[in-house]
Amino acid sequence: MKGNKIQIYQTRTNILIGLFVLILTLVTARFFYLQIVKGNELKELRERNINAFEYIYPKRGRILSEDGIVLAEDRKVFSLAVDIEQKPSEQSIKKLANLFPDKIEVENLKLKVGNSIKFRRPETIIERLTQKDLAKYLVGGTDITGFSVVEGYERQYNSHPSIFHVLGHMGYINNSDVQYFLPRISEYNSKIWKKVGKSGIERVYEESLQGQHGKRFFQRNARGDRKVITDIAPFKEGEDLSISINFAAQKLAYELMNERKGSIVVIDLEDFSIPVAISTPSISANDLRDISSSQYQDLLNDPTRPLFNRAFMGLYPPASAIKPLLTIFALNNEYTNWTETILDDGFFRFEEEERVFNAWREGGHGLTDLEKALVESSNPFFMNLSIRYEKDLFVEFLKSSSFGSKLCEDCYPHQFSPLINDDWKYKNFGKELYKGDFINLGVGQGYMLTTPLHLALISAILANRGEYELPYLVLKKQNKLSIKEDLSEEDWNKLHSALINVVYSKNGTGYRINAGELNLAGKSGTAQVVDIDSREEYDEVRANPLLRDHAIFIGFAPYDNPRYSIAVIVENGESGGRVAGPIAKKVLEELLNDF
Amino acid sequence: MTFNLRNSIIFLSLAIIILMGSLTIYSVTSIDVDSFLRFLLINIFVILFVVLLFNQINLNRIFSFGWLLFLLNILLVLSVEVFGKEINGSKRWLDFGFLSLQPSEFMKITYALFVTQYLRFYNFKFSKLRSIFLLSVLFISALPIIAQPDLGTGLVYVILGLMFLFICGMHRFYFITMGVFAVLFSPLIYTFGLTAYQKGRIMSWFSSDQSLSEKWNILQSEISIGSGGLAGEGFLNSKQNEFNFLPEADTDFIFSIYAEQFGFIGVFLILILLGCFIVMTTFLTMTEKRLTSDLSPYYIGTYCTFVIGFSFLLNILMVSGMIPVVGLPLPFFTKGGSSLLCFSIMLGLIFTSREFLK
Repeated sequence: MKGNKIQIYQTRTNILIGLFVLILTLVTARFFYLQIVKGNELKELRERNINAFEYIYPKRGRILSEDGIVLAEDRKVFSLAVDIEQKPSEQSIKKLANLFPDKIEVENLKLKVGNSIKFRRPETIIERLTQKDLAKYLVGGTDITGFSVVEGYERQYNSHPSIFHVLGHMGYINNSDVQYFLPRISEYNSKIWKKVGKSGIERVYEESLQGQHGKRFFQRNARGDRKVITDIAPFKEGEDLSISINFAAQKLAYELMNERKGSIVVIDLEDFSIPVAISTPSISANDLRDISSSQYQDLLNDPTRPLFNRAFMGLYPPASAIKPLLTIFALNNEYTNWTETILDDGFFRFEEEERVFNAWREGGHGLTDLEKALVESSNPFFMNLSIRYEKDLFVEFLKSSSFGSKLCEDCYPHQFSPLINDDWKYKNFGKELYKGDFINLGVGQGYMLTTPLHLALISAILANRGEYELPYLVLKKQNKLSIKEDLSEEDWNKLHSALINVVYSKNGTGYRINAGELNLAGKSGTAQVVDIDSREEYDEVRANPLLRDHAIFIGFAPYDNPRYSIAVIVENGESGGRVAGPIAKKVLEELLNDF
Repeated sequence: MTFNLRNSIIFLSLAIIILMGSLTIYSVTSIDVDSFLRFLLINIFVILFVVLLFNQINLNRIFSFGWLLFLLNILLVLSVEVFGKEINGSKRWLDFGFLSLQPSEFMKITYALFVTQYLRFYNFKFSKLRSIFLLSVLFISALPIIAQPDLGTGLVYVILGLMFLFICGMHRFYFITMGVFAVLFSPLIYTFGLTAYQKGRIMSWFSSDQSLSEKWNILQSEISIGSGGLAGEGFLNSKQNEFNFLPEADTDFIFSIYAEQFGFIGVFLILILLGCFIVMTTFLTMTEKRLTSDLSPYYIGTYCTFVIGFSFLLNILMVSGMIPVVGLPLPFFTKGGSSLLCFSIMLGLIFTSREFLK
């Protein structure tokens, strides 16, 4: 019995020893596997646990005007934020609220502190500390813990409203911005950008302006608390950008509009850069920075549309201002010559459709040739020409004059002047173009619409005798263009002389400009806002200022050696020669004197 | 006790394990050197005091208090429900101010003492009735522990209790029957017997979803172990600990930190020492020439040795991701008072039983 018990005890102890040794071996093998076989892999995981980095937001590049004025720059600003590494105490929260009683509410502050700690994302308490606030905090807040002054940058614009549309503005990035930038910026990482260019130069040149984030490498614990900063790669500042805008002329142009709606665009004929591009009314770009959404809605709903860039987006009937361009077309295709005359009695009768078109001057211009038709702006003469136009040639000519295509690579947002052809009419009216349509098109009315930028370019085409390039604000796209038609030197001279006479002959529609020694050549235009049948009717329409005709003037100077071309549109300004023309004169004087 | 080669190896192994344990605790808890030395001295003092105390007490006298100690222990476990301190949603500790005790830790000792006292009376003859009685006591006494809730400790208590009955020579029929039943009823127990939290712990061990927090703990533990490589990162150089990536690094997962600091060499050393201690103590005791008719000191000594050995292995299996996580302290690597006291008592019983045999 005794032996049996000992035997059982020994057997069972042996079993347990065996089991123990077995597990011991298993454990040793497991640790061998983890430490020797998979050691490096697991160590790599540990390093990834610990080492992290955060981005340092870069300073955006400046935008400078051609005449050296800083139009936009990032300025250093200080803000006060929650420091999540050392949680603010109840006492510190109260002290801080006492320090800035007009800026901080205790309850709101507590909420922000709570959220910061909960989501581990430090919230900003006061954005943009003034010098006074900063001093107040640094002196009076010495015993306040759990908050820190954070350094950052903020976009500051030249506050003159003339520059807003060209520069554009910055705003918080959204989905449509991402869609815009993804194909345009290589390796675009949308997640690291807070504010991006929403329009204008800010948007088009986002890539060169934005700069590159720096990186702050640090070691963190499991909760994400930063422990040690191990390395810092500084950010790369965005590139400075010089744009073609001459700020002095730009400001003058804006002020000359005298709070009327409209737009002025000037093209420098030496390189086709744009020294002036204004749209009125406008706002200061800084106004959009801290705007509330209701204020923004108000701006969007404002009937004068201050946010709308008329210069690149506004579509206006060019009216008589298109006549010189069409003259080129008519001469080259021998629809007319300098000697043909018609009797202008103030009406054009279109026999095919038994319609009568009114001209602007009562009684008409009498016996009229091409020169007189340009100088005095005879509608019947050009209407008479336009029924001779062949549709395909006409459309081709418009196309070669940049209708229906992009006018400027770096103007944003940007609108084409529609190319009026059968496709266009089908799309909009379900019909093809009729002969009758050409009567209106021939005097720049009806379906014909151009942007101020395009009008300035048309003026440049006239000045440059058919050769042109696409205008630009920053970067020139090297492609020489020309209109389809090629006039003889003599015809060009005669056309130029007609345009000079518009301004300098007593009968010229632009005589009242008193251009003097500016040596201005040009063409005025008066675009109807509503269709009217008689002059009596217009007097009724005039009663509503918003229905008055738009005043248009295109021109270039000096006419013997053109340097600038210009387009001026004054909405509801009524007279191209008397209202738009003098503005063009002063802007060009500023530009030429400055030179 | 004589200081022959065998005893020297056993003592040395134990001493190194205890020293390593204290050093690792020091490296994890970022206490200053003075506090560490005090801690180490208290550790050594407690162990020596308990061991020497037990050496002075006649083992027979301890056995004769078996049922009383067991009953007292059960009452203490129950009183935790009333007076206990709640930590992490379960009540396990009794707070005595200078020391908080986890009475359930001692159940594995007092049950063995109770069984010994009971069986000695019957000269260790297992009748059917006695076997069923002892098993019933074991299972019923485990209920208050499981109810705390502390499934891990309860489960380990039952397994160790069964191990003691196994050592004492209960018929293998019971073990086989219980094994079969455990396998058959495990789905039922899983479905109805476990709380959602417990199920989650078990499921996460089988799941491959790395985002589960249990799985994350195990992953972090494996990262610590693996980062140690062959030679380790060096003493006090555990980055996983420094950056708090390993939860409960100072209790359940302390061995991972040890492994990160001392590498495979350090782990291998500890395992060899543990093997030496366990195998030499049990194997050599078992083959003593002077086995007497009263085997109770053998039973209790062997039992205590295996409790230390298997507790060690279970914890290491757990931290290296081979079994689900159960809150099981690593002997001599825990700053908890109960664990230190419990394992000191076991050492006392081991050495006393060997002494007793001579």
